[in-house]
Amino acid sequence: MVDPAGLQAKLKALSDAYAAQLPEKLRQIEQAWEQLPRDGWDEEGFQTMHRMVHSLTGSGKTFGFALLSDVARNLEEYLKQLAQSKAVPGEEQRRHIQVLLGELHQVVTHRDAASGDQPGLIAVARPDRKASGCSRIFVVEDDSEQAEELKAQLSYFGYDVSVFNTLADFRLAMQANPNVVVLMDVNFPEASQGGIEMMKEIQQGRDIPVPVVFLTAYDVFSARLEAVRAGGIAYLSKPINIGSLIDKLDVLTSTQPAAPYRVLVVDDSELLTTYCATVLEQAGMMVKAVNNPLNAMESLLEFAPDLIMIDMYMPGCNGMELAKVIRQLDAFVSIPIVFLSAESDLDKQHLAMGLGADDFLTKPIQPQHLVSSISSRVRRSLKLRSFMVRDSLTGLLNHTAIKDRLDHEVAQTKRHGTPLAFAMVDIDHFKQVNDTYGHSAGDRVIKSLARLLKQRLRETDMVGRYGGEEFAVILSNTDGRTAVRVLDDIRKDFSRLHHLADSKEFSVTFSCGVADVSCFGDATKLCDAADKALYRAKHTGRNRVMPAGTPTVSGADFS
Amino acid sequence: MADKLTRILYVEDEPDIQTVARLALETLGGFTVEICSSGSEALDRAPAFDPQLILLDVMMPGMDGPTTLGKLRELPQFAFTPAIFMTAKVQPGEVAGYKEIGAVDVIPKPFDPMTLSSQVQAIWERCHG
Repeated sequence: MVDPAGLQAKLKALSDAYAAQLPEKLRQIEQAWEQLPRDGWDEEGFQTMHRMVHSLTGSGKTFGFALLSDVARNLEEYLKQLAQSKAVPGEEQRRHIQVLLGELHQVVTHRDAASGDQPGLIAVARPDRKASGCSRIFVVEDDSEQAEELKAQLSYFGYDVSVFNTLADFRLAMQANPNVVVLMDVNFPEASQGGIEMMKEIQQGRDIPVPVVFLTAYDVFSARLEAVRAGGIAYLSKPINIGSLIDKLDVLTSTQPAAPYRVLVVDDSELLTTYCATVLEQAGMMVKAVNNPLNAMESLLEFAPDLIMIDMYMPGCNGMELAKVIRQLDAFVSIPIVFLSAESDLDKQHLAMGLGADDFLTKPIQPQHLVSSISSRVRRSLKLRSFMVRDSLTGLLNHTAIKDRLDHEVAQTKRHGTPLAFAMVDIDHFKQVNDTYGHSAGDRVIKSLARLLKQRLRETDMVGRYGGEEFAVILSNTDGRTAVRVLDDIRKDFSRLHHLADSKEFSVTFSCGVADVSCFGDATKLCDAADKALYRAKHTGRNRVMPAGTPTVSGADFS
Repeated sequence: MADKLTRILYVEDEPDIQTVARLALETLGGFTVEICSSGSEALDRAPAFDPQLILLDVMMPGMDGPTTLGKLRELPQFAFTPAIFMTAKVQPGEVAGYKEIGAVDVIPKPFDPMTLSSQVQAIWERCHG
């Protein structure tokens, strides 16, 4: 039997290699296109371009780029029609090809989480995926009781923890250059800032500093400053809030690259949008260009950008008007809007800012300047938004955010015809947990389920805390049947977890309802169906996953 | 009882697809795969490898898949060897066309590397069933 993990890794490597070649492939296609004469039919040149597009059609999805295959297929079909007529493409046809080439560029970074035909195959990340990143933690703490407590809590979240009670032991262990994250107490019997001094010593001569989080009972600025100088990534006060520590560790130990920034560029000049798109894409961002401002709203909802860049002067609707309209939508009240214009009149600029713009960039703009203004805006806005959209206890998306995501994902799904499932999860008899073991035990149960859902689902799946003990899960590229299977596995594992309260052990279960998007027209209906299925799960005995019935045939389900 | 399928000749011009297909068919399917990058290479190497099944990409520069199959069929050794076309353009009419020129089936591209082996195996069992 083949080792599935090994195979996945190999496929991943192939897919990575393919992804790396894609920009060059697109460039070659564009080059072939540009080299075609405008005044005559070049059969050979045309066939060359056709073959290159054909090759994308036939390979994209195999390597996890299903959208690329789709767009390439559209382009290929169009080229085939042209080839049959052997007529030199006219202005309109040229434009159509340009648009399709542009779409290729946009989907080139769109990698599937799983292959569409077999959503079940890689629908669940291996539970041990942390093993690929650095999940080893060294706790250096002279108070052995505190150290053991920390170790117990961290182990619970899947970290492998070693405890050192003295700096000397720690120094010895670090000689082997282990790949670890260090949790370092600041104060030691031998020196009041002994932990910081030790880390400075360890960091010396290293190209990449050892990630370290300092733990201290004395929060003073001078110590914080020294901690930063010793490579400290975070500085936490005792008693340690395990939630915020885990969040820091998850960031440090994550091997997933951050999602690219998404920028919507609205400008009637195709040349300019292409320029901006090229510059920003080279900087690793994802760009969608809109040349007709009247189409901007549609793209806004569909593309869900992190930032919008608008030209001041456009036919039909000027930039300031568009900004005003965008700001009227609740979902986009906080999105950064940047005007791009040849306007150098300061009064006009101020007027634009008053209408909801955050920044004003003057054309012509240098590529470096464009990239840095856009990325710093997006970075700050995302950070702010994360405070607004995250639930403070679990770090999951909050109620509003998960509902927004569901709207967006359902729209995407309907457009691309990809599968999607939505699940509602509710902890069974949660009130009894709170009443029997206290609210802090209840909070820990909620956090452990949040953690389990996040660990066991893919990066592309979205988990939200819907209410008190209720969670919502969006499984992209997954059909209902697969989702039921995946969640049922999680259900079994959750019921086996041992929770601790005052050294009493107890276990908890959850119930779950799952709905498949293909059976329901919109997000609201999908949500209702999952909720009804959850209700049925509760009323047929709890601790089970129930698929939603189809709306037309009552009682039927897809299992 | 049909022979067990082990030796597959795969004619495909694209290196990316060659690699992923080899992985899918060898690692996952346990087959022995000989990969040729062109029709003429296939004509050279097929006799010695003696495949039980032939997979051919349709659209290749130089000699395309159907032409390659036609030439292979001229060799008595391969007159009846089952052949499968792999193509990105699968419309009902086209499949019939490919079958007419001697293919037992068509596997649409892009294929799913996780299921390619089982697709091939199923087609093999069908024509030896």
